[in-house]
Amino acid sequence: MIEMTWKEFLAQAQEFLKISEQLGDGWVLYVKDSSEPNTFLKYSQKIKCKESNDGDLTLINVEYHIVYSVSYQVPMLLFQAHRSDGSLLDLEATWRVFMPETASKDLYQMLTQTDHPVLFRPFMALHPCRTAQVLDQFGQPSDNRVLTFISLYGPHVQLQLANAYGLSK
Amino acid sequence: MSSGSEDILQFAPWESFVSPTFWHKLAELKLDYDRLSDAQRSISGHYTNRKATGCLLEADYTSFNSTGQPPKFSHAAVGTIYNKNTIEEFKALDKLTLLSNEGKKLLSDMCNDRVAGDPSLLTRFFVLSFADLKCHSYYYWFAFPCPLTPTLKLQGAVTRLSDLTNSSKYAEALQSLAPESQNFFILYANGQQNEVVETRSLSSLNESEVEHYYFGFADPSEYEHPAWLMRNYAAYLLQRFPCFVGKTLRFLGLRYNQQMQMDDSLIWNVVQSEACDLTKTEDVKFVGWELNKNGKMGPRMVCMRDSMDPAKLAENSINLNLKLMKWRLVPDLNLEIISQTKCLLFGAGTLGCAVARNLLSWGFKRITLMDSGKVGFSNPVRQNLYTHADAVAGNRMKATTAAQRLRDINPSAETVGHVLEIPMPGHTIGKSLRAQTEQSLQLIEQQVQAHDVIFLLTDSRESRWLPTLLGAAYQKIVINAALGFDSYLVMRHGSTRDMAGDSGREIEGLKCITGNQLGCYFCNDVTAPGNSLKDRTLDQQCTVTRPGVSNIAASYAVELLVALLQHPQRELAPAYYTQTGRLQISADAGKVPEGLLGILPHSVRGMLCNYENILPATQKFAQCIACSAPVLSAFRNEGHAFLFRTFETAKYLEDLTGISEFKRLNSEIIDFDDAEFDMSEDDED
Repeated sequence: MIEMTWKEFLAQAQEFLKISEQLGDGWVLYVKDSSEPNTFLKYSQKIKCKESNDGDLTLINVEYHIVYSVSYQVPMLLFQAHRSDGSLLDLEATWRVFMPETASKDLYQMLTQTDHPVLFRPFMALHPCRTAQVLDQFGQPSDNRVLTFISLYGPHVQLQLANAYGLSK
Repeated sequence: MSSGSEDILQFAPWESFVSPTFWHKLAELKLDYDRLSDAQRSISGHYTNRKATGCLLEADYTSFNSTGQPPKFSHAAVGTIYNKNTIEEFKALDKLTLLSNEGKKLLSDMCNDRVAGDPSLLTRFFVLSFADLKCHSYYYWFAFPCPLTPTLKLQGAVTRLSDLTNSSKYAEALQSLAPESQNFFILYANGQQNEVVETRSLSSLNESEVEHYYFGFADPSEYEHPAWLMRNYAAYLLQRFPCFVGKTLRFLGLRYNQQMQMDDSLIWNVVQSEACDLTKTEDVKFVGWELNKNGKMGPRMVCMRDSMDPAKLAENSINLNLKLMKWRLVPDLNLEIISQTKCLLFGAGTLGCAVARNLLSWGFKRITLMDSGKVGFSNPVRQNLYTHADAVAGNRMKATTAAQRLRDINPSAETVGHVLEIPMPGHTIGKSLRAQTEQSLQLIEQQVQAHDVIFLLTDSRESRWLPTLLGAAYQKIVINAALGFDSYLVMRHGSTRDMAGDSGREIEGLKCITGNQLGCYFCNDVTAPGNSLKDRTLDQQCTVTRPGVSNIAASYAVELLVALLQHPQRELAPAYYTQTGRLQISADAGKVPEGLLGILPHSVRGMLCNYENILPATQKFAQCIACSAPVLSAFRNEGHAFLFRTFETAKYLEDLTGISEFKRLNSEIIDFDDAEFDMSEDDED
């Protein structure tokens, strides 16, 4: 198994941030305080999406957080999307936008709502219960497991890392 | 790209893009600082020309900071918020005047050339808003004022920066430009092959060199048209340098992609052929109100309850937990029925508190409690809705305190507590209390009618009689829980509704009783409830039960109700029991048809001493003193007069139903098969 300690997470998140700063793609490290697990990686982007079937595209802003899960000892992807008027997408709307093809009974297993472990507000989350297994399966494509995690889980919610991350060092 | 030689240049209008944090901050400022003041407030916005989507002007909580640094790759816009105190003021405000007042500020910055020092003044915007903090609704309207000036005509095609000869020189020069100077700048190009290319600040503008200039700006538009802000840029330049009228001006909209390449940057060559004087401010007209989502001139409204109202946040989270159960394990679970079912709890003691909390857990919203007691010092440790302070206060009634606590736990619950005595058979009512009892009776009757489910959770057998009768008379679901020292009984009363549809199946080894043939709490008895507290020692009158018993019974009571509500026949669902000896029970029990949440027994009788439950089902008793036809018809015909007679003496009920007769016979059936359980009727103090 491939669980990681908080210190490992923190070190690898900082390493990830260094690559990001070289690439200038806008990731930041949010530090609430120095205790576990109050530091996380943060990124946001705008996405044009179909919110309803009538076809009109709406623009949403998605904020992604890579947070350390104390219970599962793996990185966890939390995110929250809002529309141009500031209203948040609820769980059903999030499903429609990110996983329109998936049957609803399977969705909760992947994408659910949970309390943010650092901010204590409801956030959408990709469930961390299988992360360790998944990371395990992929072996060590990179020395940085936070990077591996983001590149594996991010695409499910339209979070794509530049190829340059794979080329760095 | 358009190629017409005399096209009018059009602009991509700003689109406001507000973060939820903007509303959070606005609410906080209104509540803690501004309060009743509706003075205007300076704010800032920001826009980016890197991988632009739409033509966005963004506002978030940092908009309210006095020294706001725009985020990386973004530029600041200068704004004002007019937050009104009422929706009426918001609506009534003269929008034209407001726009023109804001426009005049812009003109003054242009004419006094403050723009040269701080070009971000060209991106002026303002917000008219009303924050309905009670409903968490925000009404708002963004405007981006711009003077109506003569049109700009496009000269030739729009060109890409990368198509210019020697374009790498331009890129080089632009790369040297400091990020904070990129919002508005001059790109100077000179020489045959543009050998000399450099960037300059706006304040260095020399009108005689205009043919060497590209008027550069960070362009947040993703469209072919330049962003709205170029309109003010051009107006400013033509105002400052009237000699530019009639001359071709080159504008460069600087646009980066994700990789910070500027190939997508566009160049527009434009001419304004008519002069205009913006110093004559009274003659200048302004445009700039943002269209709403329907493309109409009008404000927008956003309801932020889901993310800002703590009660709504709690409600959504509670519902999510229940929905997860539905999605994950029981797809057919009907949560709607649960949230709409109204429960009336007789008794707000140990059982009442525990049942109420379990109801909340399942998403029941409407809970009414009836109890006559005050919170005493011994109560809080067992009765989980009360605290020591309630007892110290000395005057806190259980029913109302419990109702309040339930709302403290879940603010979206609708709970009520009624303080009243439940009249009981054999508890004679004196003349002085007659009127009060009449009132209580009316309230109880009316409450039973207004609810769907009656829970019997009181501390004596006789206090269950009236609710049992009323539940039967008004065809309600009745769930009963009673405790012994280490034993408990939880049951659903048989329904008095007419049977329709499936009346149960014949299954070998099992007996089936249809829902309307099942007994009530009193059907197994052959005495009318008298004064059970009479001739009892203190330990028999008070709660002498193992504490876990009440929690177990309360949990079973609520789970039994939920299973019943999910059953297609609800209270008419049949119950099955094994005919054979106890050894056979486990084998035959496996054959009982299951509903959505498993089997639906008539009653659950359990013991803590051996951790065992049995699930007997019993028939209705034709001479039951609470639910039989003679009793129900006496109640229907005589109403309260009948009730008062039973309160006078319980013997009346025995005579009415004929069980007095019955008792004289030396009948065998008086010994019930559940005698071994020795159910005490008392559950709590």
